[in-house]
Amino acid sequence: MSKIAIISQPEQGVLIDVGGCSTLKEALEHLSSTLQSSNQFWKGNKVILGIGSIEITVAQAAQVLALAKGVGVFPEEVYSKNEKTRAAFLENSVKVTSTLPMSLPKVKVDIPATGIPFAEADAEGQKVAVQLDVTMIEMEHDTVEDTPLPVVAAEVNKDGSTVVLPQVLYVKQTLRSGQVVSHKGDLVIVGDVNPGAEIMAEGDITVWGSLRGIAHAGIGGNTEAEIRALNLQPIQIRIAHAIARAPDRPRITYANGTGPEIARIVEGKIRIQKNKID
Amino acid sequence: MSGRVIVITSGKGGVGKTTASANIGVALASTGVSVALVDMDIGLRNLDILMGLENRVVYNLVDVVEERCKLRQALVKDKKLPNLSLLPAAQTRDKSAVNAEQMKTLCNELKSMYDFVLVDSPAGIEQGFQNAVAGADEAIVITTPEMSAVRDADRIIGLLEARKDEIKEYRLVLNRYRPTMVANNDMMSVDDVLEILSVKLLGVVPEDEDIIISTNKGEPISGTDNIRAGLAYRNIARRIRGEDVPIMDLESKNSTWINKIVSFFNPTVRV
Repeated sequence: MSKIAIISQPEQGVLIDVGGCSTLKEALEHLSSTLQSSNQFWKGNKVILGIGSIEITVAQAAQVLALAKGVGVFPEEVYSKNEKTRAAFLENSVKVTSTLPMSLPKVKVDIPATGIPFAEADAEGQKVAVQLDVTMIEMEHDTVEDTPLPVVAAEVNKDGSTVVLPQVLYVKQTLRSGQVVSHKGDLVIVGDVNPGAEIMAEGDITVWGSLRGIAHAGIGGNTEAEIRALNLQPIQIRIAHAIARAPDRPRITYANGTGPEIARIVEGKIRIQKNKID
Repeated sequence: MSGRVIVITSGKGGVGKTTASANIGVALASTGVSVALVDMDIGLRNLDILMGLENRVVYNLVDVVEERCKLRQALVKDKKLPNLSLLPAAQTRDKSAVNAEQMKTLCNELKSMYDFVLVDSPAGIEQGFQNAVAGADEAIVITTPEMSAVRDADRIIGLLEARKDEIKEYRLVLNRYRPTMVANNDMMSVDDVLEILSVKLLGVVPEDEDIIISTNKGEPISGTDNIRAGLAYRNIARRIRGEDVPIMDLESKNSTWINKIVSFFNPTVRV
C-alpha cells in the first residue's frame, strides 16, 4: 500500500491524500518529499489535503499547513475521518470535511509490457492508482462512464513511497539558436528546434517539427527515454549517458526532410529508426 | 508625421548590414520619401564612409544624446538626395555612451521628422544591439547563405521575437547570394535558409563586385542602374513601402539588358 496518493480531476481540483500513513511524522515526510520534487503541478487548481484518520492537534495542524505552504501548497479544504483532526484544522481557519470531496475513481490498472511505474493507494477500501501515462491504461470510472481521468504521473520509490513526476511540458513555439528548454518530465515541442538551440528532459522528447539542434532525453540516466521528431536532423542527440552526433559531412541543404524518426538506445548505443506504425 | 523606425541587424559581423543600410536608405529616398539613416555602431563608424559623407560630419549621435548640439545640427544631408539624411555615430566613444531609453527618445524625435528611420545596428547581441532595437518598430535581419551567419540570424530573430510588443515585423534579406554555387550544391539555397529561419523574405541580394567598388567610392549601388545588386535593393525598398514586387529570378544569368543582348548574339557567352 502506498502512503500518498494524488488525484486530480478537472473542476474538482487536486486531492493530495496522505491518509495511507499511520503517523503524522510519516505523513509529513511523504508530503514534503513528494511535493518538493513535483514541479507544482497543482498550480492554479483547488487543492484538497486528505489526512485520513490520523489524529492531529491544533499545533500539529499548523505544522502541516506550514509545511504545505513551504512547498507552495495552499489547501482550500482538509478532508479527515477524525473528528479531532477536523477541529484542529478548523481552528487554523481551514475548511474541513468528513466526506471525501471528490469521488475517487475506481481504476483498473492494465500495465503494458514496458512496465510503467505506478502507485496504489487505499482510500476507503477502493483501489486507486496514480499512473504515468493516461493513454496506456484502461480505466473504469465510478461516476462518469468513458471519461478519461487526468492523473498526475507518479512512480514508486524503493521504500514504497511515491514520487510525483511532473506532467508533460508542451512548448508551442520554434526554438531558435541560443534558446534552451529543460524539463523534469517528458517534453513536447510543437515547432522546430533550430541549430544552436538545446532541449533537455528527464523523460522522452518529442518534436512535432524539425529537430536540428541538440536534444538530451533521459537526463539522470533513463535509458528507456526516446527522442522522436518529424524531421530528425540534429547536431547531437544524447539519451541518458549515450551521445550520438551528426555525420561529419557538412550539411548545406535543409529543405528536404527525413520523415518521422525515433532515436532510442539499443544495446548501449543510440540508434535511429524510421517511425513505423505497428 | 509619424514614420517607421526600422532596425537593420544581423548578429554576425561582415554580412553587409551597413552596406544594406546605405543602399536601402538611398533606394527608399529615391522613391520620394524622407529617410534618416542612423549609425548605431558607436566606436566603429562606417556608414558615413559608405555614403561618402565622412568629410561632412560635424556632430554625431552621442553629441545629440548628451545635448551638445541639436538633432538637426547633427544630421548630415546626402550629396544627391535632399530627402536623405545621416545621423553619424561617434568614433571616439563606445557602445556604453548611450542607453536604450535615450535611443527611444531619439527615434521618436526622428520619427516625427522623417517617413523612414533606418537604424544600422552593430554586430553582436550586447548593449549596442539592445540600444539599436530599443526604438524600432520593425526589423530587417541580414544574413548570408553561410551556416554561421544563418545561426546568428536565428539567434537575433529569437531576441526580436522576445520583443514582439515593440517590434511588429521582422523580415529577412539574404545577402551575397551566389546562384552558381547554389546550383552546384556548394551554398545554401534561399529555400534552405528559409527552412531554418522560417521568416518572411524581404529580398535576395546577389554577390556583386560592384558593391565593393561603390563602397569604396562612397556611392551606394542602389543609385546606379543596370547592376543586379542595385536592382535588388531598389526592389527591397519598394517592398518596404508595401508594393508587391516578386523576388528577382537570380538563377538566370541573363536578366540585365546588356547580358540579354550579348546572349542574343552569342548564347554561350555569360557576362
